[in-house]
Amino acid sequence: MGKRATQTGVPVRPQYRNAIHLKYIYFIFSLSLSSAVFAGDMQQHRDPATGLITWKVQHPGLSLQLIQLLPDYITAVYSARGLPPALVKTMASHCVFGTIIKNESGEQLSYRVADWRYVTADGKAHPIKTKTEWVKEWQDQGVSFRWSILPDEQTFEPGDWSQGFTTVPLPPDSSLNLIYTWRYQGENHKGTLEGLRCAPAQAPQS
Amino acid sequence: MAPAAAQLPLPELSHELTRLATPIEAPDFQLIDMDGEQYSLESYRGKVVILNFWATWCPPCRREIPSMEALHQAFKDEAFAILAINEWETEDHVFAFMGQLPVDPSFPILFDLDSAVAQSFGVKGLPTTLLLDTQGRVVYRAVGGRDFNHPEVKKIIRDLLPDSSTTSRGVGDRNDKSK
Repeated sequence: MGKRATQTGVPVRPQYRNAIHLKYIYFIFSLSLSSAVFAGDMQQHRDPATGLITWKVQHPGLSLQLIQLLPDYITAVYSARGLPPALVKTMASHCVFGTIIKNESGEQLSYRVADWRYVTADGKAHPIKTKTEWVKEWQDQGVSFRWSILPDEQTFEPGDWSQGFTTVPLPPDSSLNLIYTWRYQGENHKGTLEGLRCAPAQAPQS
Repeated sequence: MAPAAAQLPLPELSHELTRLATPIEAPDFQLIDMDGEQYSLESYRGKVVILNFWATWCPPCRREIPSMEALHQAFKDEAFAILAINEWETEDHVFAFMGQLPVDPSFPILFDLDSAVAQSFGVKGLPTTLLLDTQGRVVYRAVGGRDFNHPEVKKIIRDLLPDSSTTSRGVGDRNDKSK
């Protein structure tokens, strides 16, 4: 985990190599125009009392923080909101990160969870379930609660920030990477948080 | 409760409010406070109003309450009001929570039980704060926790107040328990 997937080599006839070479260059060039990929400044912090981990990545204008949350904590949060037991169990069965995203620039900045992906150990990228999808699922079970999950998309003015849950359907202790995107100064940007790990089933022994 | 999470320091509470390019007429609403009294936004016409959408389980919401109380006290004799609109929680939830705060909020806490009011204002996350002028228009917005007890916030409010700095009793005071 942490290594990007690479393309498998395929034998090519000499007369087509130049054409494919040019197409490859064009493809990479167009990618760079549409989505700048940034390596942010990442910090990882393990709480000495709980053993739980927080990751924070800093880009020019954007900070993103992911916090491990225990299943017991998720159970407590949703039980306290009066959600039915089956729904509480569903939420607690997910790998949940407390997520803080902040516009630290002096300009507008936006994000859209639908463009984010989590990458599992097998290298496959998966979409992240959005707040709208969760709220619809809750409503279908007769629950009108519509908070707690990180909002689907927001346009932040300077100083704006948001805090909410990001969920992935993985068991405790699973490894994953998070590919996140944002739009800033008229351009789409992308970053990857590598080496994330879902909270364990129980609080680690400190 | 099980240990919640590891924590890096939470983002510092800034004081920036964003001025809307075009003010938006605020939709009226009627909500109940902890004493069962009904509050109507329309009755606050003529006052500068802060609408703060919050919940007890929202950490930045909790963090900004003391600064909201300080702001409320600073402008208590002016045509100014703060309405803290709680999302989806019951009075029991909020009453128990209030006892844990370092301050005793003196501004109204209103209950938006089905989040319909939050939706009518396009609120996507908590906390979200809207600042209304005396004509009932949203003129400033802040998403995420803020330090409201800041000179720049006070200046924004002062610039929105009516020319007269005396309390305009009879305008927007109906059911206003803060006075």
